[in-house]
Amino acid sequence: MDNLGFIVAAFAIVWGALLAYLISLRARGA
Amino acid sequence: MTDTTIPRGNTLPRIRPWLGIAAAASFVVASVMALFWAPTDAVQGDVYRILYIHVPLAWLSYLAFVIVFLASVGWLWTKNELFDAIAVSSAEIGVLFTGLFLIAGSIWAKPTWGVWWTWEPRLVTTAIMFVMYVGYLLLRGLSTDFSRRATRAAIFGIIAVIDVPIVHLSVLWANSLHQLPTVLRAGGSPALDSSMLLTLMVSLGAYTLIYAYFMTARISIERARQGRLWTT
Repeated sequence: MDNLGFIVAAFAIVWGALLAYLISLRARGA
Repeated sequence: MTDTTIPRGNTLPRIRPWLGIAAAASFVVASVMALFWAPTDAVQGDVYRILYIHVPLAWLSYLAFVIVFLASVGWLWTKNELFDAIAVSSAEIGVLFTGLFLIAGSIWAKPTWGVWWTWEPRLVTTAIMFVMYVGYLLLRGLSTDFSRRATRAAIFGIIAVIDVPIVHLSVLWANSLHQLPTVLRAGGSPALDSSMLLTLMVSLGAYTLIYAYFMTARISIERARQGRLWTT
């Protein structure tokens, strides 16, 4: 897979941010 | 303990676990399809796979801000606090998604355009949209009076939605480095391989479910906050 670093970075940032937002919703009482 | 219940008769708490399961399952399927099942692009190679997160997040951002607009109209029309809760929830998630598709787009741009960022119409109008809705969220902190705050935010939410069609059509109105619409093309079928299109649609479905799940959770938080602070 070419440009693997760019692909991994993009997916990791998006997945990580979605997970962080989910955790923040839980922390706020959802 | 924080009370997060929302008004009696509301079905959101009941559907949220099922929505979460559906979102998680479709997210896994979409990710596997995007990274391993979809074919390699003949021109861009594998880096085009960023499309499967970039495009759904962009479309969901548009949807989120249109919902802010509709909920803002609903608040001004009815003064029902639920509309204000929907508006702020959708704005917050829209800002998150916009930030993420800007970052994903920037990472995609480097190997394909040779730059992380360039001042071309699609990128600039998207950045403006991001800043406008960050401003929307900040505006809500300027007043502690619930009704005044909700009304100011609603007026802002109605005006700011103007940028959504401008972002989408900016690639048609001006010479742009960003590619033209591939799927939502006027008068034409999607210019995309069928398996790529299927992967994109599955990804769009997955991110739509994630948006819906986040909305139910965020609205629940906002309704509880309204109950504690402003309603009698």
